[in-house]
Amino acid sequence: MTRRVLTRWLIVLLGLHGLVVCAGFFSPYNPAEQDRNHVYLPPQLLHLVDPTGHLHFRPFVYPWKLRPDTPDLREEDTAHPLPLRFFVNGAHYRLLGVFPARLHLFGGEDTRICLLGTDAYGRDQFSRFLYGGQISLLAGFLGAALTLLLGTLVGSVAGYFGGLIDDALMRFAELFLALPWLYLLFALRAFLPLAVSPLKAFFLIIGVIGAVGWARPGRLIRGVVLSAKERDFVRAARGFGATDRYLLWNHVLPETRGVILTQAAILIPQFVLAEMTLSFLGLGVPEPVPSWGNLLSNLQQYSVLVSYWWMYLPALLMVPFFLGYLGLASSLQERTETYMIERRSLGGVT
Amino acid sequence: MQPLLNVENLVKRYDGKRLVALQDELSALDGVSFSLFPATTLAVVGESGSGKSTLALCLACLEPPTAGCIWLEGKNLVALGEAERRKVRPQIQLIFQDPANSLNPRWNVLEILTEPLRLQGKFNSEGIERRASCLLEQVGLSMHIATRSPAELSGGQRQRLAIARALAPGPKLLILDEALSALDCSVQAQIANLLMELQTSLGMTYLFITHDLAMGVHIADEIAVMHQGRIVELGPAEKIVTSPHHEMTRQLLAATPSIAQATRLAREP
Ligand SMILES: Nc1ncnc2c1ncn2[C@@H]1O[C@H](COP(=O)(O)OP(=O)(O)O)[C@@H](O)[C@H]1O
Ligand SMILES: [Mg+2]
Repeated sequence: MTRRVLTRWLIVLLGLHGLVVCAGFFSPYNPAEQDRNHVYLPPQLLHLVDPTGHLHFRPFVYPWKLRPDTPDLREEDTAHPLPLRFFVNGAHYRLLGVFPARLHLFGGEDTRICLLGTDAYGRDQFSRFLYGGQISLLAGFLGAALTLLLGTLVGSVAGYFGGLIDDALMRFAELFLALPWLYLLFALRAFLPLAVSPLKAFFLIIGVIGAVGWARPGRLIRGVVLSAKERDFVRAARGFGATDRYLLWNHVLPETRGVILTQAAILIPQFVLAEMTLSFLGLGVPEPVPSWGNLLSNLQQYSVLVSYWWMYLPALLMVPFFLGYLGLASSLQERTETYMIERRSLGGVT
Repeated sequence: MQPLLNVENLVKRYDGKRLVALQDELSALDGVSFSLFPATTLAVVGESGSGKSTLALCLACLEPPTAGCIWLEGKNLVALGEAERRKVRPQIQLIFQDPANSLNPRWNVLEILTEPLRLQGKFNSEGIERRASCLLEQVGLSMHIATRSPAELSGGQRQRLAIARALAPGPKLLILDEALSALDCSVQAQIANLLMELQTSLGMTYLFITHDLAMGVHIADEIAVMHQGRIVELGPAEKIVTSPHHEMTRQLLAATPSIAQATRLAREP
């Protein structure tokens, strides 16, 4: 039962991440490509039925034109439908960052098609959303990996060796939980030059996120290690002359796998949000590199907030990603719990 | 004959990290002494909490005793450093009450069985395989179950596997801590018989820990009765049954109907 739910969430997440990983293919344009003549274009809706009521099998959009009676309001120009073309050649990109390609899932004929509208520079928001996901999700992934690496290291050493080491490490972890991180981050950022390269900024974010987050999973992992090392199969292996390193690696750490996976599913979306917060505050990966935080930081301007509602759309599209991770986390947790219960009940039945 | 194991005045106190030490804190082991001769069985009988498992862990070098000596063939195990103790541990093997907990549920039978062999590092993969099938045969199992997980075995099969694994490092002493308590009666008898067969064929020495006096009498040459961390009575099995001295022994006898009946019959002329 839990297994099926788990698989379902995994498939959902795999599909969503596939879109982001292959952003080059699924997005029609280069995310940095500007078009100053078409700034803040509203999203173009996909149509199948034309004004005369005819059904078309090829989806099409209408270009936007200014309403004749107003200075800045736009309406769909139904006289000039733009049909979508599938598997078109367009902007060059590198698939997975390696393979040069120029095939796109869809595109227009000669006018651009912007399904999520455009931003202040006329850049395609849809392409920016997919490309931005690469930065934000990768930051989440690497941040979670770093956090869990540190957390596992600290938690397993503390739990396994106990005593003074345990006390010292756990007090240290509590210190980390008590620090006001956002402000420390500001202070840290103040030491660095104003303009840092996107790559440097990216690794800075991951470093900061990873350094902040390890304490909580570290304490969880310590708890699991603490109970795992008292299990009889660990004692038995020690009785065969096993070293501490062998026991930790072969018997104790595998017991923490469930907790680590669950924590990863919780931490990744949390860290994507952290990246967004940092980018929103201008401490993230600098423009023109797209990231989800950068996309939403457009909303800092009041005029955007009130006039261009489609600038909110990326936030809406992020929701399925976060829901997917939450679902994955809860079914992983359930699985870990049933596993523990099953194993406990195994003892009595003979 | 030289004793295999000589325990002198063994004391174990668990000092928890308490802010205020409890005044009347009992020692889990409070001056335990006994000798164990090769190819014999000593049963340690006592109620729950009397310190039997603590004794087992101390003897197997898995818990450091607070005081006392453990002489194994003239070597004091308590005085050894960690590295030497690691080398000694394989010689004293422990079998636990609950085989579901003493066999790693993530591993299969073959992986579990060959762990001590791999840790010893004496065998190549071919030798390990041969030794594994030999060990399984000794405890009445076969290589058919090699790829199963412990959850797919019956309780009896699991305990047989645990015994085979404990025999793998070639121990001099086997400590069985309530090893039969989690099993059905009929399975208990089968495993008890297996243990006695192994004793005849391998000349194995057992420390058989149980709360069931009848089982102790059935399997052991000598019986030690434990109470509150002390051995309150120690002697040949039949003597313990026929003329118990300590109150604890009488209580245990009274709680064992089959023996109580047998002795009553024996006393009646
Ligand atoms: N790890 C431990 N920490 C603290 N006290 C313990 C620990 N293990 C056992 N004890 C205490 O030592 C005493 C003897 O326990 P144990 O050796 O398990 O008895 P038995 O196996 O005869 O039931 C008990 O009072 C128990 O509470
Ligand atoms: Mg016990």
